[in-house]
Amino acid sequence: MFHVSKSYLPGTWALQDVSLEVGRGQFIFITGQSGAGKTTLLKLLFAAERPNEGQILVLGRNIARLQGRAVPALRRRVGVVFQDFKLLSHRTVEENVGFALDVVGTPRREARSRVFNTLRQVGLQHRRYHHPMSLSGGEQQRVAIARALVGEPEILLADEPTGNLDPGLSVEIIELMMAAANRGTTVIVATHDIALVERYRMRTLNLEGGRLTEVDLEGGGR
Amino acid sequence: MRLWVIGAILSRAAWRGFRGSGVTAWVSVVTISVALFLVGAFSLVVVNMEGMLDRFAEDLTVTAYLEDDLTPEQASDLAKTILAVGVIEYVAVVDKEEALERFRRMTGGAALLEGIADNPLPASLEMRLNPEDRSLEGFSVLEEAVVDLPGIAELRHGREWIDGYARVASLIRVSGYAVAVVLSLATLLIVANTIQLGLYARRDELDILDLVGASRTFMRTPFLLEGTLQGMLGGGLAAGLLWLCFLVLLPSLEYGLTFLLGQTEPRFFGFAEILRLVLGGALLGLVGSMAALLNRRS
Repeated sequence: MFHVSKSYLPGTWALQDVSLEVGRGQFIFITGQSGAGKTTLLKLLFAAERPNEGQILVLGRNIARLQGRAVPALRRRVGVVFQDFKLLSHRTVEENVGFALDVVGTPRREARSRVFNTLRQVGLQHRRYHHPMSLSGGEQQRVAIARALVGEPEILLADEPTGNLDPGLSVEIIELMMAAANRGTTVIVATHDIALVERYRMRTLNLEGGRLTEVDLEGGGR
Repeated sequence: MRLWVIGAILSRAAWRGFRGSGVTAWVSVVTISVALFLVGAFSLVVVNMEGMLDRFAEDLTVTAYLEDDLTPEQASDLAKTILAVGVIEYVAVVDKEEALERFRRMTGGAALLEGIADNPLPASLEMRLNPEDRSLEGFSVLEEAVVDLPGIAELRHGREWIDGYARVASLIRVSGYAVAVVLSLATLLIVANTIQLGLYARRDELDILDLVGASRTFMRTPFLLEGTLQGMLGGGLAAGLLWLCFLVLLPSLEYGLTFLLGQTEPRFFGFAEILRLVLGGALLGLVGSMAALLNRRS
């Protein structure tokens, strides 16, 4: 991101002159209070929003100039996880995760095998025929992570992924994302959970009033 | 291969959407079937009337009565001249004696002609139009060519009768078109509304599809297929209802049909016409769902 600004209303800036560079396979935290601009920053990265100013290069594509029809191709390379999981209650876990493979026309047998393997990574292979409402909050978030990872994305974006979970489950979720980073996926986690950030001491940036600053965590970084 | 896989995925999504829409989808199907039933009923009447018209034309001969002073050679020359016009396949000279003989056969005896010394019946030319010219236009061409020929006293044909009948058939056809247009518009609105409801009910699913990189076509196609499926089912149902009505109501309408169709046997639609009805329904469903998607886009 190079000098990116984003405004929803004239005169107020959700993001202001934000510059950020994240390398392949890095894991970073974006912290900040509610309304600081964390969600906007993530939305810009998967082209759900466009910047008013500045340039954003994601996987070699300039988001500011990306045409509408090129957005789906970009999103297939970027997995996204939300605080509220965004799972379909009338579909099974397997079907929820399989969505990401349907859109690229993955044959059914191959899709089922990949979904099974991804669910095994998040420890939910035995729950694949269950419906989300019968799962705990932590399990639902793991399903959402499986959906984000099943297409083997190069980037994983998580917006308050532990916001609805207790501390024990939060750790589980972050561990899963770290495992993805260890496999080469770039992971960006937006959170206001400072305890979690301090526990892992990874590269951290703080958003305040739409401005992004690097946080100096002693011994942190990677 | 991938195209087939995507086709299967989208078809499954459409079927799931149709089942998920429940009563709303069936309301749409029934509406389409009612519209197509009415349009089909009009078409059935027109098809039968047109069939009868064709048969009339097949049986119809045109008679040109000849002036009394014409010799048999002149009558024969006149027949050759008329044949050269090109719209008739057959012409025969009926001389005065044959005309009298026919009259005797028709009346069952000679009682009416007793006491009349001379044969009062004129000689005539009997003509039949070519199959491709058995239309009002064909009659007109023949009439223009023949009516003023020297030696022709009078031209007789059933044109006026056929003309009137064709006008009624045409009126029914035009009314059918008008009904079809009005009902189609109403049906389109209902299908569009059903699909809109489907879009609203599945907005979470669409959001997720958008999130995981589904193209616009991928997201829209199931809705288009769903609309098409509703239309096809509606068309099929309409064809079934028409057939049922044809079987059940035919005996009680026999008198009216005899008046309309004469001795012609009423017929039901053929395969091609039923197919047209079903495809018409599919088209209605497709256009209705396209309208819903365009509306959402706006």
